[in-house]
Amino acid sequence: MGKAFDPSLIVDFIPTLIYYLGVTLQILAASVLLGMVIGIAAAILRLFRIPVLNQLVILYISFIRGTPILIQLFLVFYGLPAILLFINIDISRMDALYFVIITYALSNGAHFAEIFRGAIKAVDYGQTEAAYSVGMNNSQSFFRIVLPQAIRIAFPNIANSIIGSLKDTSLAFTIGVMDMMGRGETLIAATAHALEVYLSLAVIYYAVVLVFEKIFRLYENRINRHQTVDVSVTG
Amino acid sequence: MTIDILFIWTAFKEIIKALPITLILTILPLLAGFIIGLAVALIRIYKVKFLCRVANGYVSFFRGTPIIMHIMLIYFGFPLLIDQISTKFDLGIQSNSIPIILFVLTALSLSAGAYLSEIFRSGIISVSNGQMEAAYSVGMNSFQAMTRIVLPQAIAQSIPNFTNIFIGFLHTSSIAFIVSQKEMTGAANIVASTNLKFLESFIAAGLIYWGLTIIAEGLSFLIEKKATAYNRGGVQ
Repeated sequence: MGKAFDPSLIVDFIPTLIYYLGVTLQILAASVLLGMVIGIAAAILRLFRIPVLNQLVILYISFIRGTPILIQLFLVFYGLPAILLFINIDISRMDALYFVIITYALSNGAHFAEIFRGAIKAVDYGQTEAAYSVGMNNSQSFFRIVLPQAIRIAFPNIANSIIGSLKDTSLAFTIGVMDMMGRGETLIAATAHALEVYLSLAVIYYAVVLVFEKIFRLYENRINRHQTVDVSVTG
Repeated sequence: MTIDILFIWTAFKEIIKALPITLILTILPLLAGFIIGLAVALIRIYKVKFLCRVANGYVSFFRGTPIIMHIMLIYFGFPLLIDQISTKFDLGIQSNSIPIILFVLTALSLSAGAYLSEIFRSGIISVSNGQMEAAYSVGMNSFQAMTRIVLPQAIAQSIPNFTNIFIGFLHTSSIAFIVSQKEMTGAANIVASTNLKFLESFIAAGLIYWGLTIIAEGLSFLIEKKATAYNRGGVQ
């Protein structure tokens, strides 16, 4: 078995593990995109106070924010097949990857909904009035005037949420998904060098997070380029 | 597969017995993290030579990697380290006699320190500089001004952030089940696999976490109202 701790293995493991970064990013991308759709829909239901649905969305957001992602993962993994069996759809043999994407999409959706709601509320109502005054209708003023400004306000929080979600994907292996962490577990089983595997994983996650932070910062500067300095400080 | 509603209650009673361990895994790391976070935030604000770089690296790394990594690295790394030191100096300490929960607590404390330091930093920065100057003008020194004037305001303003961190770490403590700690998620897993009723057990566990979160949010609201009472009136 060799030495108990062999630093050179950390470097050796990185290529094997980084090959599975694609799966991790795939989970992230799919769940963020789905989460955006859920989040915008939920935020609109909340903002326009659609009866019944508004209360359901409040319950949904409270539940997602009130339970650990691990519990949500297990609930979707064991619960969704049970629910769908009532309408005679058997998904118990579906790839665990899809359960992970569904869970993270639901979780992101709740967080995004709160972020969007706050951001849309933060846009001055005078903007909507100004849009009406130049003859726009409801949806035009929302999509052309309010939403673009809300996205600018929401962006830093969305970015934080995405990075948090990336770190959360490291729990997907608990229901048997072969992402970076899952591959790490099999490497440990094969080589018994747990510490080195986790160190390589930490290096990869850290590097990916740093790259994401850099990209987000560049994009943030871009969407704020029309803002005068004092506004972007307070906004 | 049908859902056995009655079993949720049975599981609930079984899982809630593990509540103390979950609370230990939440509160102790936050208390340790409170001290680490405050120290790190002050080092970064006063830009202490050399230490400032270490602090920046620490915060960036711990916020940039998943918490499960910290638990795993310490869980596998510390025993090796302890055994090496022990054999070198003949201390006679064996790593396998140390309970696993200590490793988990260490890892969670270090993560909590990194997250809390950012909250302290933003809280301290948000207190206007005039407060510090006013404290100097009545003859306080830097330490007095910090502990009597700036920190109380910074902490009072950061209460919503502290609540978020508390809830975050309450949920994070569920990761400890992966290193076979019998906290609530671990207990739910045991109940689930011995009775082969996975869904019911995790529903019960989810309900407990949800209830705890709602209680924490309510308490935080009350504490915030009390702590920021000085800040009322005028235009606010």
